[in-house]
Amino acid sequence: MSKLLNLALGILAAIGGFVDIGDLVFNTAAGATFGYQLMWVIPIGVVGIIVYSEMSGRVAAVSGKAVFDTVRERTGFSAGLGALLASEVVNLLTLAAEIGGIAIALQLLTDLSYRVLLLLAVVALAVVLWTLHLEWIERLFGYGGLCLLVFAVAAVKLSPDWVKVGAGFVPHISQNDPWLYLYFAIGLLGAAMTPYEVYFYSSGGIEDGWTTKEIGLNRANAIVGYALGGFLSLALMMVGASVFLKHGIEPEHLGTIPLGAQEPLGKIALLLGIVGILFAVGGAAIDTVFSGAYNLAQFFGWEWGRYRHPAGAPRFSVTWIVLLLCALAIVLTGVDPIMVTEYAVIFSAVALPLTYIPILLVANDPEYMGANRNGTLANVLGVVYLVVIMVVAVTAIPLLLITNVGQS
Amino acid sequence: MLREKTHALRVAAAFVAVFVLAGCNGGTVDRHALTNDAGTIDSINCEAWLVSDGAARDRVTTAYTRVQSKALALQASNLADALAHRPTAAGLERRTRAKARAAATLAARLRALHAHPTDRPAARTLSERFKRAGGCA
Repeated sequence: MSKLLNLALGILAAIGGFVDIGDLVFNTAAGATFGYQLMWVIPIGVVGIIVYSEMSGRVAAVSGKAVFDTVRERTGFSAGLGALLASEVVNLLTLAAEIGGIAIALQLLTDLSYRVLLLLAVVALAVVLWTLHLEWIERLFGYGGLCLLVFAVAAVKLSPDWVKVGAGFVPHISQNDPWLYLYFAIGLLGAAMTPYEVYFYSSGGIEDGWTTKEIGLNRANAIVGYALGGFLSLALMMVGASVFLKHGIEPEHLGTIPLGAQEPLGKIALLLGIVGILFAVGGAAIDTVFSGAYNLAQFFGWEWGRYRHPAGAPRFSVTWIVLLLCALAIVLTGVDPIMVTEYAVIFSAVALPLTYIPILLVANDPEYMGANRNGTLANVLGVVYLVVIMVVAVTAIPLLLITNVGQS
Repeated sequence: MLREKTHALRVAAAFVAVFVLAGCNGGTVDRHALTNDAGTIDSINCEAWLVSDGAARDRVTTAYTRVQSKALALQASNLADALAHRPTAAGLERRTRAKARAAATLAARLRALHAHPTDRPAARTLSERFKRAGGCA
């Protein structure tokens, strides 16, 4: 019973923790620009992150090695360093965007100064990271993020044209501004398949002491948590279509998004939407800052882990503190967190193959994985997504330039 | 080690190049840019309509009204400045400057909403103006 309860609680936390600032921005903007036409991208992205996470979780359970341990071992120091640099840059951009998002959400609740709230957000994150147990951090932010379910209620309450919603799940190219459409498709895939989630997931598996006994739990967590989390993305896109496209609004501010829940449901829904955004971006900030520290520590063979006292893993602890300060410095320049988010999502799509390919190779290596190597389904999906990821990586930056960062 | 440093520098240079290229948004206002900017002014008007309508019917919080109207006012004001000063393609100057004035009016109305977020009659009046100016559905 306790195991079942733990699984249920873990899944609830995963649903609430699935959405980050990239999902919020891209899903709402895609709905506001193309209506329901890009719904088909979300299941593709969700299955992609399930495939990637399941493989990396299984590798962690079998070998006791997280993503960047595996990357360095499989690709060597030089190639691994390139992957590490790219991942750290993307992580830092994402962290900066999430911290900006926390400050904006707090500002929408309190009307205090944005810069003061940036400082407050970083101090609060540092205190939470230093004092709370990882399990409690995940649950606190995961449950808080469940407030985003108000967007699912709003999506239904807005009485969408369900035939059009269904048609949106059929992959197609829009005749109306196809470059912008493709930019959003790439952005939605990048937002759904953010690599930091996988680094955090596999490192968390090692922190939880996963062995081959937890392979089933790993699979259940990845499939159910991400799939249900994907429903929040669908809800955000539907709200974008039903409210913002209908009224001719291009949502260019994080504060615009909760209006989508307010319009059909009123003031309480507005507040729930803002609180949900606060916890979602807060949880993502924690995942991102830890991922950055995990990656560096694993690559250079330092002691790492949240289950150690900070003094027991000093370089790991210093790394996450430095990352927080660097991200704070970026947002204090006054750069727009939404713009940073767009760059972070597009660059994360570009960097994705650098860690995906080594994980795919190791997960399929019989000497490394033994009986737990990829089965037929995992291999077919692994290779299909390799092609998808390569196409996304190659086209992301040209589309960013052609559409002038989605302005077209 | 030198090769690794060179590789890292190339990656950094590529990032900078993409930021610079993608960020180039100034220059002459042509027909396409004017259409985009006019669309943005309408979009801000329609969002301002939703916010002020919410304020008029007590369906948004005071903090939300103040913060969101300030963010939209800043966006409208930046747009007004850009449209007032950027060079225009031949035959577009009059329309561009008219849009600059529309953006400036929008910014002023949003600043009024920011200053009096709890004044429901004023929010109602502003809401009607935003809706009409943006041609909102």
